[in-house]
Amino acid sequence: MITIRFVVNGALQVLSVAPETTLLGALRNQLGLTGAKSGCEVGDCGACTVIVDGRSVNACLMLAVQADGCTVLTIEGLATREKLHPLQRAFEELAALQCGFCGPGAILSAKALLDVNPDPSRQEVRDGLAGNLCRCTGYTKMIDAVLHAAQELRAAPTSAATHGER
Amino acid sequence: MRSFEYVAAGDIRHAVQLLAEHGAEARILAGGTDLLADLKSSAHGPRLVIDISRAQALKGITLTPAGLCIGAMTTHTEIMRSALIAEHCPVLAAAAHTIGAVQTRNLGTLGGNLVTAVPSMDSGPALVALDAQVGLAGSAGERRLPLTDFFRGPRKTALKADELLIDIVIPATSLGKPAAFLKSGLRKGQALALVNAAASLWLDGKGRIIEPRVALGAVAPVVMRATDAEQFLAGRPPAPGVFVQAGALAAAACKPISDFRASAGYRRDLVAVLVQRALAQAYAMAEGRT
Repeated sequence: MITIRFVVNGALQVLSVAPETTLLGALRNQLGLTGAKSGCEVGDCGACTVIVDGRSVNACLMLAVQADGCTVLTIEGLATREKLHPLQRAFEELAALQCGFCGPGAILSAKALLDVNPDPSRQEVRDGLAGNLCRCTGYTKMIDAVLHAAQELRAAPTSAATHGER
Repeated sequence: MRSFEYVAAGDIRHAVQLLAEHGAEARILAGGTDLLADLKSSAHGPRLVIDISRAQALKGITLTPAGLCIGAMTTHTEIMRSALIAEHCPVLAAAAHTIGAVQTRNLGTLGGNLVTAVPSMDSGPALVALDAQVGLAGSAGERRLPLTDFFRGPRKTALKADELLIDIVIPATSLGKPAAFLKSGLRKGQALALVNAAASLWLDGKGRIIEPRVALGAVAPVVMRATDAEQFLAGRPPAPGVFVQAGALAAAACKPISDFRASAGYRRDLVAVLVQRALAQAYAMAEGRT
């Protein structure tokens, strides 16, 4: 077993993991953070997407030991007790989720995109979500929701900047 | 995944030493996007995984007198965002953008893409069109060879059991060379190439093509150069008919297979079209039209 220390959703975590444990396995089975889903397990579906040091990654394709010293954001770290993140609210209000399985990954891919590109074109949003498969929505409403949230975040950048950073 | 031992190699020497000790029982972990997917599906995993993802010497892009040196651990996203790549060989950024999707590009590395050596890899053709070389480090020291000699077959490379791919160099003579990369897949995201192709060329003082390169992926066991097309192009003035003819020569030279994604005949037709378009784009760049 190997001891790793990393910050997950703002809190320092110290875990003892087997070398073959994936980051996804550690998040779900050891920390009880089941927002990131186990889908294809080979990096095709994006249901396990989390943000590691500012980059969206498939947590199923990263070993937990590789997250040692990193900062990880999962869907559980996006909302506050009081309110949803603008992306979550937009996904809800514009009906961009149906079964919801792909939602956590899709929303984190969208956040990673907006963090570096606050004013994306529709095509850039499509490119940003290309690694997140959704079998329900047909994507149109998801793309609408990301563009809607982007607009809201640009209008209120200071409150947006604090989201997910605590 | 089956259990394995894990060691994080701090530098190249450490990684090579571990490879020399454990050889065939060890696998290198770079970005992990290929390795972990592979380990999850294989019945007998390696005894040891050597993680090189923290070795700083393998990261970064630097301009040297020999050319542009890209560390093997450089991710596809880093290539897309690099100012040096944008200035000296933007075709590599275009090719990187077609790989997988954002999450794969954030973890996956250029070195990993080359070492995995699947015939449909998207980083290979553009590198071959720029005469890229690779640097290998092993117990006996370092050696450098053309990328075309590195590929030996599907999932086979020139790497010996104790060797590590450390960098990829775009020779100084290829920096700024007009080049284009095109890919045809069934979708834009997360799709393997049915065919991909890259072309590069210079124009001499009289406007004739010199040092043309035509590289093809997914239509042979390894990334291949269409030398018939290159020889036909060399010394000719660029004209639409010339590019069509070069595309036809490339299509005749490639050796595609039929599978559930596309038939060999369809792939051959794609080669003709992609080569023609890639040459036209490279020519437009050479003329300063783009």
